[in-house]
Amino acid sequence: MRKHLFHIAAVIGLIAAAFNVPVAAQGEPVRVAEFLAECPISHRLADDPIVLPNLAGASHFHDFFGNHSTNARSTQQSLEGQTGNCNPAADISSYWVPTLYRNNTAIAPTGVTFYYLGEGVNNPAAIQPTPYGLKIVAGNAKATGDADSIARWSCLHAGHVNPSKNFVTCPAGTMLETYLDFPQCWDGRNLDSADHKSHMSYPVAGGCPSSHPVSVPKLRMVLRYPVNGSTAGLRLASGTGQTMHGDFFNVWPRAEMERRVRNCLNVVIKCDHNGNHG
Amino acid sequence: MRPQRQPRLTILLLAGLLAACQQAPAPAPPPPSTTQNGYGTTERAFVELAIATDEQALKLLELTDRTELKENRAVELTELRKLLDAPYVNQHAGHDMPGMPTDAEIQLAATSPDAREQFVRTHLTESLEVVRSAAAAITHPPTAEVVRLMERHRTAELAAG
Repeated sequence: MRKHLFHIAAVIGLIAAAFNVPVAAQGEPVRVAEFLAECPISHRLADDPIVLPNLAGASHFHDFFGNHSTNARSTQQSLEGQTGNCNPAADISSYWVPTLYRNNTAIAPTGVTFYYLGEGVNNPAAIQPTPYGLKIVAGNAKATGDADSIARWSCLHAGHVNPSKNFVTCPAGTMLETYLDFPQCWDGRNLDSADHKSHMSYPVAGGCPSSHPVSVPKLRMVLRYPVNGSTAGLRLASGTGQTMHGDFFNVWPRAEMERRVRNCLNVVIKCDHNGNHG
Repeated sequence: MRPQRQPRLTILLLAGLLAACQQAPAPAPPPPSTTQNGYGTTERAFVELAIATDEQALKLLELTDRTELKENRAVELTELRKLLDAPYVNQHAGHDMPGMPTDAEIQLAATSPDAREQFVRTHLTESLEVVRSAAAAITHPPTAEVVRLMERHRTAELAAG
């Protein structure tokens, strides 16, 4: 599959070269289909506009990133036109995760990156922009152990510590980090669903299944917490580390999203915050 | 930008063709958060949350002699379950939800009378806040009626100490 991917990338590169289209300034472009947004914590609320819409104060606590206005009553209409704290500023999407606590002290992540990737599917050229207004929930807030969890906890700058689905003990001088991959295949019709999951799916064998045929960017959330040492007293508002979950409400301006998908993901190139490369 | 050249046009045409081939169907408009006075997403979310909360509260109250509270929670559960339009799934098990005693709290309450009193009170004050939030958001009349019942119950229970 990698070979296949390379082949497509090479062909695109050749076509581009033949027509004198600049793919990268000089030398080998970085062959990773990626653009990103970094969005520090904006605010913390006991709200969840996807799972408990309109029910202010009825949820466990969440850390919200990006759009400053997100609350229980948020809709696509209420979010658009607001501002957020992402780099790039153009991304005014909403992202949120359960609050992390050590005993009863909330701990905010100090590194928050949302990568939009072309990996996971064999044909990145077919990736479509994430539909405007799409809501995605990833991870399992109800996980009861490793078997029903996709959480991943590891240590920044301590690669020798094996990743785990629950919290890991990170050596002094390192940071606890967590990765979460969102499903990247859309049913092509619904921006949400009753269980907030069934309108999306993960790819199967490098492609989107016929039930969810539309390939969209793979959102990967990477959070870094100023935490190391013992895991004693660590918990999420949703429970153990295995219950890590993330919510995404897409309100990237359409043109900004489309430009990045076209210029970064479809052609398998690593872009910067502004969606540019080399 | 240089003046338009043939290859550039070809690229544009190719890109257009590709885009046309890959055109995704237009997304359906987002479903309304509640249908007109109907049982919508807010109602469904509240009912599921209230069932999860009351079930955990009953476990805590079983450790007390507060008969009226136990009866009130049981009545609420019966009324809430009547509102369900799909098999009940506990979306909030193990979560630290406002008004919902956690398993750890229930365990502690089993051995500590002080903790028991405190957790019962926290259940009442916090779940009253959630119910009041629901009262402001819910339009479906039968659900709104259960919300009012829950608010009456908690207000009286808090007044009784």
